[in-house]
Amino acid sequence: MARILIVDDEEHIRTLYTLELEDEGHQVLALETGEGLAEQIDAFNPDVVVLDIKMVGVSGLDVLQEVRSRYYDLPVILCSAYGSYKGDVKSIAADYYVVKSSDLTELKQKIDNALAARIPG
Amino acid sequence: MSDWILENPENVSSAEIVVGIPSYNEADAIGFPTEQASLGLTRHFPGRKAVVVNCDNASTDGTKDAFFAAPCQVPRLYVSTPPGVKGKGNNFRNLFRLVRDLGAEAVVVVDADLKSITPQWIKFLGEPLLDDFGYVTPLYLRHKYDGTITNNIAYPLTRCLYGRRVRQPIGGDFGFSGELAKFYLEHETWNESVAQFGIDIWMTTLAMYHRRPITQAFLGRPKIHRPKDPASSLGPMFRQVVGTIFNLMGTFAPFWQEVRRSRPTAIYGFGLGQTEMPPPVDVNVEALYKNFHAGEAAHDAAWRTALAPNTYAKLREVLDLGLEQFEFPIPLWAHVLFDVAVAYRDRVLPPDDLMDALAPLYFGRTLSFVRSTDGMAMQQAEEYVEEQCLAFEEAKPYLLERWGS
Repeated sequence: MARILIVDDEEHIRTLYTLELEDEGHQVLALETGEGLAEQIDAFNPDVVVLDIKMVGVSGLDVLQEVRSRYYDLPVILCSAYGSYKGDVKSIAADYYVVKSSDLTELKQKIDNALAARIPG
Repeated sequence: MSDWILENPENVSSAEIVVGIPSYNEADAIGFPTEQASLGLTRHFPGRKAVVVNCDNASTDGTKDAFFAAPCQVPRLYVSTPPGVKGKGNNFRNLFRLVRDLGAEAVVVVDADLKSITPQWIKFLGEPLLDDFGYVTPLYLRHKYDGTITNNIAYPLTRCLYGRRVRQPIGGDFGFSGELAKFYLEHETWNESVAQFGIDIWMTTLAMYHRRPITQAFLGRPKIHRPKDPASSLGPMFRQVVGTIFNLMGTFAPFWQEVRRSRPTAIYGFGLGQTEMPPPVDVNVEALYKNFHAGEAAHDAAWRTALAPNTYAKLREVLDLGLEQFEFPIPLWAHVLFDVAVAYRDRVLPPDDLMDALAPLYFGRTLSFVRSTDGMAMQQAEEYVEEQCLAFEEAKPYLLERWGS
């Protein structure tokens, strides 16, 4: 069981991800915006962050840069309905990139991979 | 005779930031990066005590004079190995000593033959070091056929071994902290390959192994320097880079055996506006094919000795393919490198012979890379490199099994 923080401005996505991931036994916190994310990370202490790229008022890629600079080793999975964002150099600071789908098989696989990644401390 | 030659016309005794430019016979090129380094330091680090250092191999073409003649607003130092002592790594070692003696906090190194460097490169390679980062590697757009040793060996191998995604581990342009310079100076894994072209991968690997926070600086412009056809002679660089990777695998095995999958690094340096496309690199595919097959006659016995029987059998299948249908599959390539790493550790052949036997296989894999990415845009080719890296990570249990505990 892992703590998963979801940031997505679409309510139905947050609901879908929350239900499916809780069914897998994970503890989920779903946020509508990346604003004030650092405080949420500090409080929830997630094992992995699932971050939408295209959100109203804020770019997930910019949020990713903030997360990566403050939490160097916190796994982040980018999600987008658009595969084209994969071409943005900022996206390589993410652990994985997933194109949104109602089938969460790929997302769950990437979460497993991110959780399994290990570099000795 | 002293083990270095130092010229310090402005009697510099301390510095906060050092820009080093390693060279050997670069009189026609070194002026440009020197000027850009000076502009970068004065524009982006105005309150900092800075110095530009040419770390030379006693060039005989007037490199030193060209360095001192270049427009430069910050103090300069020239340090050289004694005449007859060559090697990029030896130049770095002199730089490490100088950085220690000057008490510098941050060091930026740029290649002497760079034609595309801007003052912002100095900012982006240096600034993270004044934050919390210990090591900065470059991230620039490269043509898909530029950097084939990076794409097919250095990046996928170091990523799957040490778990850190550093896209240009041997990029040639780096930033590192003064503390890391001292660490490098004292590290026991220094050897003759590191003193030559093995230096870049050695520095990157040690930074990863010792968990120094790493960032990749996005430099906006492509790296434009003297390009090379991947089919041309590999020279000593291949042997020294790959040999250094294999050598460090032996030393750091307890570490990389515990690494599972990989993690990204931070990215630094945006807001550069429109990025510039890199110049094309021509590839002679017939020469790659010929070089691959020439290896069969010269190195088949070595392949049979170094490779696991199953790997060798699959290689035989690849040897039967004509140019039109040629493919050297990624999983096979991963197994080849893993087998050769084990053979290198066990010294089943002299290391240089093993590297010579690996070179034609590298040509074969490069040919396959070229064919697979033919017609791809840069981004698609980049995704192909990513697929290759993931395949190496998937294949790592094979390496763990072959390596043993």
